[in-house]
Amino acid sequence: MSESKELSPVRIDALREIGNIGMGNALTALSQLVNKKINMTVPETRFYPFEEVITRVGGQEELVACVSLRVLGDVQGTAMFVFDEPSTYTLVDLLMGLPEGTTTELDEMGQSAVQKVGNVLTGSFASAISTMSQLKLISTVPVFAFDMLGAVLPSVMIASGRIEDKVLVIENSIFQSNKEVSGHFFFFAAPEDLNKLLDSLGIS
Amino acid sequence: MSNKVLIVDDATFMRMMIKNIISKEGFEVVGEAENGKQAVELYFETKPDLVTMDITMPEMDGIEAVKAIISKEPEAKIIMCSAMGQQSMVMEAIQAGAKDFIVKPFQPDRVIQALTKVLGR
Repeated sequence: MSESKELSPVRIDALREIGNIGMGNALTALSQLVNKKINMTVPETRFYPFEEVITRVGGQEELVACVSLRVLGDVQGTAMFVFDEPSTYTLVDLLMGLPEGTTTELDEMGQSAVQKVGNVLTGSFASAISTMSQLKLISTVPVFAFDMLGAVLPSVMIASGRIEDKVLVIENSIFQSNKEVSGHFFFFAAPEDLNKLLDSLGIS
Repeated sequence: MSNKVLIVDDATFMRMMIKNIISKEGFEVVGEAENGKQAVELYFETKPDLVTMDITMPEMDGIEAVKAIISKEPEAKIIMCSAMGQQSMVMEAIQAGAKDFIVKPFQPDRVIQALTKVLGR
């Protein structure tokens, strides 16, 4: 998402709230899945230059679990959710009901659990946008990767068909009792798509 | 006579959205707060007939704010309005004294229906 200077604080605020709603809905689904109460922090939303996005999450070589999906229809874009390595393992423990620290690598079962969460998160984001804006959105099947951040991020962006100078990043942490899982949510879209979305929400 | 409403949400955008929906139906917005702490202060300052309250907010969350308001004003009419629709969260809000729970994203009809019901209009 480039041209961030065109986005007024009210528009940034609206995007943050959409992210927040998507996240809240996703946690509702997640809490049903694990049958536990899950809380979250107030999200931080900002635009970051592409290179800074990587340092934001960790580093080029940081191992991350990433779920991404393309949003098509009236507005096009790519939604992506990233968990760093420790958070990925904590998440698996949480989902499987294992004591904290049990998971130290991602096996097939763990991968499917994390993928499920990513699917719910990205899907909730897309449906929150759709419900609020009344725009017709089609989300593609989410793609999962567990790889180095420096490899994952560019490939997602290339698959989306464009490389943006600036990316909208929504950071927050989810909690289940004292266990913390920090996640980063990214949304890439062309400025014209972003404006179309915000216009449909009635924000001038 | 129009009913006085206090809107509490940390997102300007969401406050604007709720304001637009309820103003059309003749409700009067007497105040807007962006966190729980401000909500409690504004509640006693503006004495609204009804409050719409978000949950996830900085400073003080919505559930804490409901408890703070209800402890001094047990008859306060508060409707939660949050994306956190988990059953445990809804229960906690209702136990704290909230009268209804709207899950975001919402349809305008749902908001009006909740307000009308709680106010007995």
